[in-house]
Amino acid sequence: MSYADVAVALILVGLSAYLLFGGADFGAGLWHLLARRAAEKDVIEHAMGPVWEANHVWLIFVMVMTWTAFPPVFAGIMTAYWVPLSLAALGIVIRGSAFAFMKIEHGFKIEHRRRYRWAFGVSSVVTPYALGAVAGTIAAGDRHWLSPPGAYAGLLTVGLCAYLAAVYLTWDARRLSPNAATAERFRSYALGTGAVVGALALPGSIVLGVRSPLIGLSALAGLVSLVLLWRRAYLAVRLSAALAAGSVLWGAAVLSDLDLDAAAAHDAVLRVIFVALGVGGIFLLPALAWLYVLFQREAGSHEDRARAR
Amino acid sequence: MVLGAAAGPASPADFIAAREQMAFTLGFHIILASIGIGLPALTVLAEWRWLRTGDPSYRELARRWAKATGVLFAVGAVSGTVLSFEMGTLWPRFMDTYGQVFGAGFAMEGIAFFIEAIFIGIYLYGWDRLPPRVHLLTGIPIAVAGIASAFFVVTVNAWMNQPRGFRLDAHGRVTDVDPLAAMFNPATPVQATHLILAALMVCGFIVASVYAVPLLRGRGERYHRLGFAIPFTTAAVVAPIQVIVGDWASRFVSERQPIKFAAMEGVDHTQAGVPFRFAFLEIPNGLSLLLRFDPHATIRGLDSWPAGVRPPAEIVQTSFEIMIAIGMALLGLAVWWAYTWWRHHRHGARWSPWFLRAATLAGVAAAIAMEAGWTTTEVGRQPWIVYGVMRTVDAVNPSPGLRYGLYVVLVVYAVLGAVTIGVLRRMRRPSHQAGALKVDEKITAGGAGR
Ligand code: HDD
Ligand code: HEM
Ligand code: HEM
Repeated sequence: MSYADVAVALILVGLSAYLLFGGADFGAGLWHLLARRAAEKDVIEHAMGPVWEANHVWLIFVMVMTWTAFPPVFAGIMTAYWVPLSLAALGIVIRGSAFAFMKIEHGFKIEHRRRYRWAFGVSSVVTPYALGAVAGTIAAGDRHWLSPPGAYAGLLTVGLCAYLAAVYLTWDARRLSPNAATAERFRSYALGTGAVVGALALPGSIVLGVRSPLIGLSALAGLVSLVLLWRRAYLAVRLSAALAAGSVLWGAAVLSDLDLDAAAAHDAVLRVIFVALGVGGIFLLPALAWLYVLFQREAGSHEDRARAR
Repeated sequence: MVLGAAAGPASPADFIAAREQMAFTLGFHIILASIGIGLPALTVLAEWRWLRTGDPSYRELARRWAKATGVLFAVGAVSGTVLSFEMGTLWPRFMDTYGQVFGAGFAMEGIAFFIEAIFIGIYLYGWDRLPPRVHLLTGIPIAVAGIASAFFVVTVNAWMNQPRGFRLDAHGRVTDVDPLAAMFNPATPVQATHLILAALMVCGFIVASVYAVPLLRGRGERYHRLGFAIPFTTAAVVAPIQVIVGDWASRFVSERQPIKFAAMEGVDHTQAGVPFRFAFLEIPNGLSLLLRFDPHATIRGLDSWPAGVRPPAEIVQTSFEIMIAIGMALLGLAVWWAYTWWRHHRHGARWSPWFLRAATLAGVAAAIAMEAGWTTTEVGRQPWIVYGVMRTVDAVNPSPGLRYGLYVVLVVYAVLGAVTIGVLRRMRRPSHQAGALKVDEKITAGGAGR
């Protein structure tokens, strides 16, 4: 395995993490806009609060890795798709700041919160759409992000994000919300979007000519997820849903078949980066694990409390 | 996917727009980044004092500063993300050719961001989930990673001024890349030191000026006095060091980028015994004396270079003078603070209202000095994006329509800036303090069944 292969693998790991964690935060933004009940919004805000900034850094990781390890690829993509990518960047600005403002003004003025909610929700849809459209256009070898494959991939990405968010939030609702009906509602959102996204993903991959066992894996994991949701296995479904979404991404990566070796940076560069990531990882990975565990720790405590009452 | 030969910008207007967009978004980000570098350290300091003394004023300060950090860090992070996109959408040829040379700095910055973002989450939301000492400790990585990320990113800018660690082959492609030599180029030590000190000054003076207002209005509670004194003292200690480091920066530029230096000092013709000019002031032989310790030393003037490589001298000179003037004024203010503090302790004298009035302006002034310094550095490097190696025109995205991107960015950032300031102002109001406390309770109640 060449250094370039390792770099590609790291970029794919970063992209997957961004889809599975950052993507779910975008999906949560969509649900925040659609949800009518305050209890649902509360769950979303509390679940996202401590982790969304760390989840966002995966995108920075992917970009920095790409421009350092494969500079011509980064430059080519950025030149060709500067419009949708600038749109995504603005979406990221509006989404992140609207969320931070909304949280700080909690319990303050209603009008302010309503404005932030719209900004937060709409930008949470625009960003994954734009990113997905660019990824889909590149994967399909098409030229324009407004082409059918681009539009299809954009919608699919938004759907995947919404699905992941609903799945994760079902557990969070059970953990955070005193009202058992909240988890039930997220469960129904998850079942609904899961069915829609599955129906969207399979025919699309056949039309686009993805011939890879990954599609089968995705379909299987998607089905298992629906069953697990149905049976209210909310922790297990997090894993199977993540597998279903992740394998769509890997399928697209296989489809794109980019020739990266010719574009790779010199080994001396990649070596320094791998060492830096290795040393950084020693601090970073335990810290990341701690972050997630810390804010998931009191899992189930509400049920206990409810039962005690 | 690989770009063709250099084609240049689609139109001059698009080229100007790309530069203005870069400058504007960087100028926005740098203020938030400065606060992101300094405020976590101030917060941890206040929390530590609280744990040591049990004084509730410190606790209140730590809580408030942590909340402000939460908002400002979020806006800083998203505005930084825009910069990462812009490196590619605006300057793809720069990234294409040199991305791998300076990329290691950005990769290490990325690791530092990760650590920062993780601990920001733990620190801000962990007040009631962690034992007090552990909570205090989780603030330290934020402060350290903030300074580290500033260091790493400025290595890239230093490299643009002093490109090292590569050679160009016959096709203009880079070979023999040595990423560490690129990172630790000759400009890195001076730029990194000057920038980190500048960030501490910007943050300290801005935070202090928030508290100078109520103090001026006579609401001199202990909480406000401490809220003023901690950040102001930090910035005031840095101010004299910064002047010395600035002098180092000037000497460095005069040796390594003499054309930038000539623009900064407004030296039009090469001559001996150059006077020191500042706004209306003129000291005969002053500049030669200052720079070379010899009143008759010769300094190279702008006209000794061909017109095609000269930067726009007036902008460079004006912004440099603004930075120096503010740097000296802030040094004066630091001395005034030392005197005020001494009189307060020796004679119990009250802080003079004139001092507080000046202190109210210090935050904005420091931010202006920061912007002026960057304008000096960046405009003074023109027409090069990589000094002496790649011209800015050859780096820009050749797509038409870049200027519309600039218009959108201007509108979005204007709104963002206004809303951020509005939110921060509302956070200071008493009515919101009650609301804010409720949030804390809800957050803990959300997860903690204890
Ligand atoms: C609070 C902000 C602040 C203050 C008070 C000063 N500076 Fe500064 N200066 C900056 C903030 C700054 C900066 C952070 O904006 C720059 C831009 C690039 C850099 O590395 O630092 C800078 C750049 C910069 C440069 C150009 C370096 C280059 O192009 O490589 C010089 C020569 C000076 N400064 C000199 C001074 C002097 C002599 C000062 C004393 C009065 C001074 N600065 C105060
Ligand atoms: C490490 C940090 C930085 C990097 C990598 C960087 C990079 C760049 C790049 C690529 C350009 C466009 C090309 C050019 O015009 O030379 C630019 C221009 C500019 N940047 Fe920086 N920059 C950095 C920090 C800053 C900061 C913090 C400011 C704050 C104000 C700033 C101010 C400017 C200005 C004013 C220009 C426009 C110069 C002109 O077009 O005449 N830079 N910078
Ligand atoms: C000298 C100039 C710069 C300094 C001192 C600086 C410093 C910082 C700091 C301290 C943060 C943490 C967020 C905060 O505190 O608000 C930050 C965020 C960020 N900066 Fe900058 N930065 C500079 C220029 C740049 C440039 C040129 C880029 C990109 C090309 C960049 C990209 C980013 C990104 C992507 C983030 C977000 C990281 C996250 O998600 O947490 N910065 N920067």
